[in-house]
Amino acid sequence: MKKYIITGLICSLAIFSGCDDQLNQVPRQSIDQNLALSNDANVKSTLLGAYSEIRSTFLYGGRVQLYAEMLGANSEVRWEGTFNQPREMFNKQIFVTNSFVEGTWAAAYRAINVANNVLASLDVVNEADRGRVEGEALFIRGSMYFELIKLYAQPYTAGTSGLGVPLVLTPTRAVTEENFVSRNTIGEVYQQILSDLNRSESLVPAVNSFLARNYVVAAQLSRVYLQMERFADARDAANRAITAATANGKSLIPVFLNAFNTENDSNEDLFTIQVNTQDPANDMFLFYSLPEFGARGGDVAIMQRHIDLYNQDDDRLLQFFFSAGEERTSKWRDQFRNVKVFRLAELYLTRAEANLREGTAIGATPLEDVNRIRARVSLPALLTVSIPDILNERKLELAHEGHAIHDVRRTRGSVTENAGTPNSVTFQFNDPRLVFPIPQREMDANPNLVQNEGYGN
Amino acid sequence: MRKALLFVIALFTLAFSFEVSAQQRQISGTIISGEDNEPLPGVNVIVKGTTRGAISDLDGRYAIQADANETLVFSFVGFVSQELAVGNNSIINLTLAPDAKVLGEVVVVGYGSTTKGDLTGNVASVKGEALATIPVPNFQEALQGRMAGVFVESSSGKLGEGVKIRVRGTTSISGGNDPLYVIDGIPMTTSGGIGLYNPLADINFNDIESFEVLKDASSAAIYGARGANGVVLITTKSGAKGKTKFNVGIQRGISSPTRLREFLNAQEFVELMREAGENVGDLAFVESRLDRYSGWSDWRNGETDTDWQKQAFNPDAGTTNVNFSASGGDEKTRFFFSGAYDDQTGILIRNDFQRISGRLNLDHTVSKRFTIGANFGLSRTQNNRLSDDNQFNNPIQLVALAPITPIRDLNGQLYDRPTATYYNNLIDSENAEWLNTSFRNISNIFGEYKLTNDLKFRSEFGVDVFNQNEEQFFGSQTNLGLSTNGFARSRWVRVFNYNTNNYFTYNKIFAEKHNFEAVAGMSFQKSDRYFTFVEGQEFPLDQLRTLASAAEITGGESSITNFTFLSYFSRINYKYANKYLATLSARIDGSSRFGENSRYGFFPAASLGWIVSEEGFLKGNDKLSLLKVRGSYGLTGNAEIGNFDHLGLFGTSSYALIPGLRPTQIPNPNLTWEKTAQLNFGVEFALFNDRITGELDYYNKNTTDLLLNVPVPATTGFNVQRQNIGRMVNYGFEIVLNSVNVSKQNFSWNTSVNFARNINEVKELAPGQTSIPSSSSRFLNAVFVGQPIGVFYGPAYAGVDPQNGDALYYTNADRTETTSSFNDAERTFVGDPNPKFFGGITNNIKFKNFDLSILFQGVFGNDIYDGGGGFFAANGDWFDNSTRDQMGRWQNPGDLTNIPQARLGECNGCNASSRYLSDGSYLRLRTLTLGYSIPSDQLTKFKLSSARIFFTGQNLLTFTNYRGWDPEVSTDGLSGNIFQGNDFYSAPQAKTFSLGINVGF
Repeated sequence: MKKYIITGLICSLAIFSGCDDQLNQVPRQSIDQNLALSNDANVKSTLLGAYSEIRSTFLYGGRVQLYAEMLGANSEVRWEGTFNQPREMFNKQIFVTNSFVEGTWAAAYRAINVANNVLASLDVVNEADRGRVEGEALFIRGSMYFELIKLYAQPYTAGTSGLGVPLVLTPTRAVTEENFVSRNTIGEVYQQILSDLNRSESLVPAVNSFLARNYVVAAQLSRVYLQMERFADARDAANRAITAATANGKSLIPVFLNAFNTENDSNEDLFTIQVNTQDPANDMFLFYSLPEFGARGGDVAIMQRHIDLYNQDDDRLLQFFFSAGEERTSKWRDQFRNVKVFRLAELYLTRAEANLREGTAIGATPLEDVNRIRARVSLPALLTVSIPDILNERKLELAHEGHAIHDVRRTRGSVTENAGTPNSVTFQFNDPRLVFPIPQREMDANPNLVQNEGYGN
Repeated sequence: MRKALLFVIALFTLAFSFEVSAQQRQISGTIISGEDNEPLPGVNVIVKGTTRGAISDLDGRYAIQADANETLVFSFVGFVSQELAVGNNSIINLTLAPDAKVLGEVVVVGYGSTTKGDLTGNVASVKGEALATIPVPNFQEALQGRMAGVFVESSSGKLGEGVKIRVRGTTSISGGNDPLYVIDGIPMTTSGGIGLYNPLADINFNDIESFEVLKDASSAAIYGARGANGVVLITTKSGAKGKTKFNVGIQRGISSPTRLREFLNAQEFVELMREAGENVGDLAFVESRLDRYSGWSDWRNGETDTDWQKQAFNPDAGTTNVNFSASGGDEKTRFFFSGAYDDQTGILIRNDFQRISGRLNLDHTVSKRFTIGANFGLSRTQNNRLSDDNQFNNPIQLVALAPITPIRDLNGQLYDRPTATYYNNLIDSENAEWLNTSFRNISNIFGEYKLTNDLKFRSEFGVDVFNQNEEQFFGSQTNLGLSTNGFARSRWVRVFNYNTNNYFTYNKIFAEKHNFEAVAGMSFQKSDRYFTFVEGQEFPLDQLRTLASAAEITGGESSITNFTFLSYFSRINYKYANKYLATLSARIDGSSRFGENSRYGFFPAASLGWIVSEEGFLKGNDKLSLLKVRGSYGLTGNAEIGNFDHLGLFGTSSYALIPGLRPTQIPNPNLTWEKTAQLNFGVEFALFNDRITGELDYYNKNTTDLLLNVPVPATTGFNVQRQNIGRMVNYGFEIVLNSVNVSKQNFSWNTSVNFARNINEVKELAPGQTSIPSSSSRFLNAVFVGQPIGVFYGPAYAGVDPQNGDALYYTNADRTETTSSFNDAERTFVGDPNPKFFGGITNNIKFKNFDLSILFQGVFGNDIYDGGGGFFAANGDWFDNSTRDQMGRWQNPGDLTNIPQARLGECNGCNASSRYLSDGSYLRLRTLTLGYSIPSDQLTKFKLSSARIFFTGQNLLTFTNYRGWDPEVSTDGLSGNIFQGNDFYSAPQAKTFSLGINVGF
């Protein structure tokens, strides 16, 4: 009998001995991290992955622009939507659990980690492309640190020794004690941004489809220098951006409104986030537009106080229309449109301001640059120009495009909410309530972080 | 089989014992089993106080000599004994009521079966027939309150969605916590469906013979790496030799929500909102909004007063069930054949569930040694589905709309934004479709060969094919299709899961006293999941709803994933002198889910039992007819992690239609199963001749190597890493009590009580880590060492400052200091979503031809967080309609209230805090069934063997202090083990009244 048992067992084992191989299953939608960075093509795909991160709605996909408008609302726009995360920013009373604040922090560091992965794998990239790949990754990393430092720390104008954000410059392959980082100072973070962007500008070409190009990097640099009040550098960066961009076919669109809601990038667009029906998210559209265009309920209203700032002949007034009980801007009206990050118009205004502050006329005189912008919107040319003139022109030209609070903070201005009511309240440029908290989740996950002023411990 | 065996035993005993006197009158009759209304052979009939006796034959007939003043005692293993006075009767027919709680009951265990008496582990068992007429879509809900230590909770009143079952608590923080479901030997596919569809809803539970839940390590270790959460064994019905029996049943019912909430009417809404605006100096804005929201009507004169909540519910909700079965067979071949149609119209609009199912189970005796068989089950389920609770098109979210908003404009069109505050999802009812269809085939074949009289080999091969597709269409008026002339999506999934079990069973009695049984074998399982979807927009007309009509295809995907398990298992049972019991079992499991460094695991368990009442000093004692003690200890695992969690991965991402790669997962080559070591100690007893039986168990489950999504700083580019870290315990006790309160021929009354207390405590997390606070800004669940999983942790709400109406929070754990600044509030433990205890009480009463069954079920000591409170109970923070209690807001200095001053847009108390937490205990009249069986003498002329009409009510009464819709809730908008006990616009459960008839012939 024993013989039978043993034979039976051996048979059944023999039949299934092949099963052991079945324990080696591989994923079909992902690949091993070592393969992902093993050759030229894969590293370039990973670089594209970094763009897909900065494309997130938490970043250039719309929310960083929205935050700037809500923090800098200044009684000119009002958050009327049901989402309480932007409302807290609008109220200047942000809770440490605000999920937008948490999401943007995480998304920016995800993008940084992808960029760091690319930067650590440059040796397998074909030599011919190595510089471009490095330059694009540095653009992404530098840009993310710039967005982070503007939101999660005091402005550069309030001092460089304050707490910035943690600098992480190597890819995460495993989690060790070193990953429990501390915050670098504002000055250190700006130095890193300058180092990344300056090297990037020297590496990326002028023609590179809708991805980073040398004039895009220069445009980003001009913003960084403006924040740092390094006007000569801002002027030069803006001038380099204008020169390279116009040499590559960029120009102002003759009719102001035609610069918006374009099917593709217009001549005026230096850098946009590419939106299409398969990848449709554009949160500026989502929150600024209306249900009939496929958006939410018209969450941002434009107040009369803002509209009153325009000269009555200003073509830019044509952007406003009345719907769902309030004035709206049509800058973000249509669905499936690219999210504009840099328009050429901004650089003329930056160059004008920086030239005027430095008393120079590099590229053009301040008056020429300002009048170029005014002429397009049917405003009479100015004969003389002052810094307030330029700042005012800049405010109206770039209104609702994600600049509001950043221009207030670098110019040491202020924001007044509920203006004209008994509840009127003014926030100075360095008011802690204009700074995001470090997200509670991050404070919980990393005991080495220190919270911003005014957000508990 | 069981009855035949017992008949032989009974005959055998009788041969020795009784003498028959020739002087008495002959009494005869037929004994019917109360279990199935069939004749009952082998019943002992004894004249009380004498040795005269008889045994019923195969047709249930008996004959015995007795005096008129004597009493007959009818007894049979597995049934409640009855005594009847002879009197002038010469014919005494009776029905014996089944008594399921005795030693002879057959209990299915892994790879075999045993009797209750021989069991040394803890197995809860429910017979399928107890659930047969309960009007719910899946068997899990029907199991509620019926098994000690088995916690069942359906997430809401939506049809077709998941049901949470926890056997002896939650053992995992980041891995799965559902038990392993095994149907006729095949580990079932229980996840991987589209959306939140519950693949277990494909099972027609009228086909189920029994459910067994393996709770302790001794019973579950034979399922090794998948046994730690308990194992639910499902056995389908099979045929028995004899005349072919037919059964037909029809049942219809009507359903309504268990409870509604109270929301503000138009006048109250206007009052609160104007006040909220006035308090922030913006009355004009509020009034302009009121103008906008009131559409064609005028809010000033109360023209419109819409009850939006009512619109979310379907007034015509109900259930229909039609089922048919035939079973029978001969010496060689036996069969069970069934068909059923179930149709449930949900209490929510746009929600229904329909199942058509068929089954054929066959077994055939080829020769004395060789048996083969096949079970074949097929079903089609159609589910008109709803979106998750947190979506605007969840019907319950209609409550957010303002009561001043008319439903339709003057042209009869439904109002949408901007007139409606939010998307008016009634538009979905007219302009959208969302149908989910699944086809399920669970089938297996088996062969069993007796190599010798003691040794047999069994081989089983089974497949579980789950095929599902979902067709969604959102027309040009819906929020999803508004600007794109409609939007549609078609998703398909196929999970092909096959499994084979091959094992030997050896059974022998040595020297009459040593019973020995051994099982050894192997199994292999592979599951492949294929998923495809395509979506598109721009439809020419709303009538053309398939993607063939979409002008623009906007998305698509196909993906494949799989896992395998290769396992070897063994079990040895030993019984000495019917008193001393021992079981050893073990399994070796290998799986593709584990990292290379730990691919195979070993899971042993041992148990001992002692039937004390078989000892000389207790034997024959009527008062204590059974006393058994048992203990077990063993190791089981939990392998419910992602299929490839151990690898360091880059996934695809794309930008501007260009493909890219990005890191998605940090590697962990050591990743392996969680280990649960469980100790169980139990006592079983029976008193007063089995009138009262019971079981008492203490258990302690210690889970180590927790599969934990450890939060890491987001500055790494990741949020979590899955590691085997940490430890959690669950300990508690379970009580089962059954009593036969009355047992007479025309009146019987049994009561069955089960009760369980489970204490869960997280013991360790990652080194140096003591907590994982909530990752959500709207919900509070956290994990803390020393606390139960999912404990509510957040600011403690301190009520309202009587001076100024500010919402206050405590700034210290002692709750002595307060602040009006939410950011300065101290986070503390404010509640616990885990029930302290839960249980059920069933009363079964039979009176003449009436039967009544009442199940009360309750859950006690848990808290529920009402996540929607920040919107509808936020003292007019925004234009969402509020619950009526918000009218009690602070208005003037000195007002004492818990509801802060209404301030538009300032979030005065609207943040997540203990303000929205309340006691979630409830007691519910879960099921009440009243039946009437038509007497058999009236049935014979119709050639029927049985006919019963019945009423079944489900969720008829609920007693609770919970303020929301329904305390049985766990919003489907949140996933994971930590986010338990949350309500978020979740639908209440259905209350159902149904009538039915069952006919057998």
